[in-house]
Amino acid sequence: MSNRLQTVISGLRLDNPLILASGILDENGYTMKRILKEGAAAVVTKSIGSAERSGYKPPVVVEIGGGNMINAIGLANPGIENFGNEVKIAREAGKPVIGSIFGADAEEFSNLAKKMASYGVSGIELNLSCPHVKGVGQEIGSDPDLVESIVGEVKRSVNIPVFAKLSPNVSDIMELAKAADRADALVLINTVRAMAIDVYARRPVLSNVYGGLSGPAIKPVGLRYVYEVKKETGKEIIGVGGIQSAEDTLEYIMAGASCVEIGTALHTGGRSVFRAISRDLENLMASEKLDSISDTIGMAIQR
Amino acid sequence: MIHSTVVRVDQNTPTVRSIGFKWDCKVLPGQFIMVWIPGIGEIPISLSSTGNLKEITVKSYGPASDALTKLETGSRIFFRGPYGRPFTLVKGKTLLIGGGSGMASLKPLINERSYAIVSARTRDELLFSDKIHEGNLHLVTDDGSIGIKGTPLNALEKLNLTEFEMIYVCGPEIMLKKIFDSLRGKKVRAEFAMERTMKCGIGVCDSCSIDGLQLCRDGSIFSMEEVMEMEEFGRTKLSESGRRIILNY
Ligand SMILES: Cc1cc2nc3c(=O)[nH]c(=O)nc-3n(C[C@H](O)[C@H](O)[C@H](O)COP(=O)(O)O)c2cc1C
Ligand code: FES
Repeated sequence: MSNRLQTVISGLRLDNPLILASGILDENGYTMKRILKEGAAAVVTKSIGSAERSGYKPPVVVEIGGGNMINAIGLANPGIENFGNEVKIAREAGKPVIGSIFGADAEEFSNLAKKMASYGVSGIELNLSCPHVKGVGQEIGSDPDLVESIVGEVKRSVNIPVFAKLSPNVSDIMELAKAADRADALVLINTVRAMAIDVYARRPVLSNVYGGLSGPAIKPVGLRYVYEVKKETGKEIIGVGGIQSAEDTLEYIMAGASCVEIGTALHTGGRSVFRAISRDLENLMASEKLDSISDTIGMAIQR
Repeated sequence: MIHSTVVRVDQNTPTVRSIGFKWDCKVLPGQFIMVWIPGIGEIPISLSSTGNLKEITVKSYGPASDALTKLETGSRIFFRGPYGRPFTLVKGKTLLIGGGSGMASLKPLINERSYAIVSARTRDELLFSDKIHEGNLHLVTDDGSIGIKGTPLNALEKLNLTEFEMIYVCGPEIMLKKIFDSLRGKKVRAEFAMERTMKCGIGVCDSCSIDGLQLCRDGSIFSMEEVMEMEEFGRTKLSESGRRIILNY
């Protein structure tokens, strides 16, 4: 890969702007290692909490067509104490591993962050936005005071970059973006609260009823949040939501993202999406005479 | 979600039933579907018949499979799929090695050139042994109530393996591991149907992973050579939470 695709987020150097999003194929060290070897510039781990959690019973995903899905995995995770070895295995690929964590308050987040940092991750992503788990999801993500105290406490606890992943399921994203101002970068967006009903069974499909919508359907929403927050705050942003191609990636970068995370596209394209999108992005940038990602960030923003 | 109607139910053994339904879709031996029992749960099951009439073979071991075994002709059945990579089909003689309900996924591979080692705990639980030519059949039971007393390995040792173009193996991981170890280094071609916790079935949740491969997408059928590369096979598996569990085989 040429230098054209290199980018930097809060001091972390990336070979290309494509990172594996939290929650998709990133709970097992071997899986993360394989995805890094197959072209992702970095991975964000599954969101990890203090205690082991089995998550919801299947059905935990519904495919709704067009490469979109609704998931309610329910933050299944092995618990922070059992996760050190997975990070160790993933790090063997020699690329950044970003540890995602979730909790109920500032103290829990800061303990998780310290432990995650001790495993050798390159950054911490705060999941302030899971749309379908009580107590650690929406309640936190929509409370600016809580967001501010969590971000502040975690920043004091670790000396690696801290990213705050915000929820799109709020009425005023700017209020939350400002509350998370102490984070090194903002991650936009998490899934959009949604559901599916099977008319023949006459009931909701997900065992949890509600889940989070992801895939191409949410790209316009993610894009708008990235654009709006970048324009208003100028903060570094990691774009997420419905990215499946080089054009999608460039859209997010022109809206203000320094790099992007990709999740649901792994369902449609498999692990090879990273390699394929990198190659296409290189060609697209060359043909559009865009020499570097850094010159392209926020290019579309109208002042 | 796809839905269809159950058109036949067969009691195969005292604990195992096959449920037939119409589904106009090309499915290959070794592929699976996620079957949904509204209000109860969803489980992965491989197809035991892949022709025009599709069939799944179920043993009750939890709420969802239990509800499935209770379906009757005329009931609605909900599912999604087909998922997974199928077995490789060959022209020559084949050996099927099935432990317990493992025979269900091997059933679509049965033809005139098939030999089989069918094993179960006891004679009542032998599955689909009646579908194999008697002369080609080797029965194994844990309790010795019929056939060889022991494991499929005891039957395998007696066979000249070089006459088979392919050996297909399906059963509990401990059985796969033992057979794999005994085939290792021999000049044979073999494929193993693996089992891991499955939640999404579509390669996003990581619950079914082994050595960074997803059983639901990259498997659940793996060749001898692929299994050879796996550090996790027979050593560790993942719990429902994703915690690594050490296996002591
Ligand atoms: C199956 C699945 C599980 C997810 N789990 C998490 C999680 O544990 N933590 C988190 O911050 N986001 C989680 N997400 C959200 C994704 O990281 C991402 O924000 C969202 O899916 C939008 O991106 P996409 O359209 O590329 O998938 C999950 C998404 C999916 C589809
Ligand atoms: S069952 Fe979810 S990745 Fe295979």
